Amino acid sequence: MTARAAARMGLVFLLFLTVQQTVILDIRLGGVHPDIMILLPIVAGIVGGPGRGAVVGFVAGLVSDLFLPTPFGLSALVGCLLGFGVGAATVALDRTARWLPPLAALVGSALYELIYAVLGSVLGQPQMLHVDLARIVVLVAVTNAVLALPAMWLVAWALPQASTEGVPTSPVSSGVLR
Amino acid sequence: MPASRRSRRPRTTLLVLVLASVSIITLDARGGFHRITSGVRSVAADAFSPVRSAVDGVIEPVGNFLAGSVHYGAVRQQNQLLQQQIDHLKLEQRSQADAIERMKQLSAILGLPFVGNLQTVPAEVTNYGTSDFAATVDIGVGRNEGVQLNMPVVGAGGLVGQVVQANHGSATVRLITDGQSSVGVTFSPPPGSLAVLTGQGSGKPLAANLVPPNTPLTPGQVFTTSGLQGAIYPGGIPVATVRSARTGTNASQESVTLQPLADLTHLRYVAVILWTPPS
Repeated sequence: MTARAAARMGLVFLLFLTVQQTVILDIRLGGVHPDIMILLPIVAGIVGGPGRGAVVGFVAGLVSDLFLPTPFGLSALVGCLLGFGVGAATVALDRTARWLPPLAALVGSALYELIYAVLGSVLGQPQMLHVDLARIVVLVAVTNAVLALPAMWLVAWALPQASTEGVPTSPVSSGVLR
Repeated sequence: MPASRRSRRPRTTLLVLVLASVSIITLDARGGFHRITSGVRSVAADAFSPVRSAVDGVIEPVGNFLAGSVHYGAVRQQNQLLQQQIDHLKLEQRSQADAIERMKQLSAILGLPFVGNLQTVPAEVTNYGTSDFAATVDIGVGRNEGVQLNMPVVGAGGLVGQVVQANHGSATVRLITDGQSSVGVTFSPPPGSLAVLTGQGSGKPLAANLVPPNTPLTPGQVFTTSGLQGAIYPGGIPVATVRSARTGTNASQESVTLQPLADLTHLRYVAVILWTPPS
């Protein structure tokens, strides 16, 4: 990643963090608030592939962990897994399709919250499985699906495209076969 | 670059990141490194605090303007003036009710009878928790006002929780309803009975552990902090009242649920007791 891309990505992190810590924390339905930081690894996975998805997920997670009372590093762990997973799952798909970011955000966010709760419970925080998990999963997944396209534009502006990064390209997609 | 090496790179990146995350989590769970992460969190909270205030200052008027615009568009021209007046009066009524409620809570905080001679610092609740997985609130006082880690926090009615993160101008309080919270309490009858109250999550009642089977408990009975040697709260602070109590067949302890005395879902003001548990 170039210095320019890193600087742009830093701005995107700051924007997401500011919105999360100000506007989003005030939006509460049944005591639950959305979490847009999860969108970063999802859209980075789509735009930049599994490697960059994992790195963005790790950094976004660490930044989130600074403001969360849950174990430090847990968001980073789940974030890098999510970024890699989304990147790997979407590598063979048409990444310009408009339906892809909302669908990936819906499924990815739901999986993130579930894995987060289970891993948190394993790491000595059993109460993380006793919260209203269904409400958290639905609210976070739906909100992120709605916000996925704007997030995609922002991350696409920041990250260099690397649609086949780290993944063996098929003869067709690499342009060998036409 | 050969395709096989290129295909391995993201997996290697992931492996490194997973190992880094697991290392951070493991080290944070241990005492020494936790101080570092706690310090970093404190620095981040202090650094971000002005940004949060500035953005809140910008967003609030915009939100109010948008809310007002929705009303304006919906009414006919001849009713606009009347509607405005009604809206204005309603807003005034709401702000008055809000101000009265705030004043009630603040007055209650200033004269907490159970605090005794312990020194307190009143604080406004600035944020209702940053995670959906933990019951915490942020308050507007911190180390600058003498607030330290593990200090008890009380509100109108009784115990609210404990400081788990103390920054320069703010602090995070873990509520007694959080799943990680446990409070040593005493109740009677029988006189001097002891139990431990544990949180079940935000908005949920507390659960009592170690209550012997068939203990005669009645709804509304008050449990107060025990203040035993090594306790994390000073004694005599009301915590919760009994909501239900029953003993199952062959149960080793009575199943008791309790309602926190402080209204934890509408906290506006709290008081930090300048008391740290004996180490």
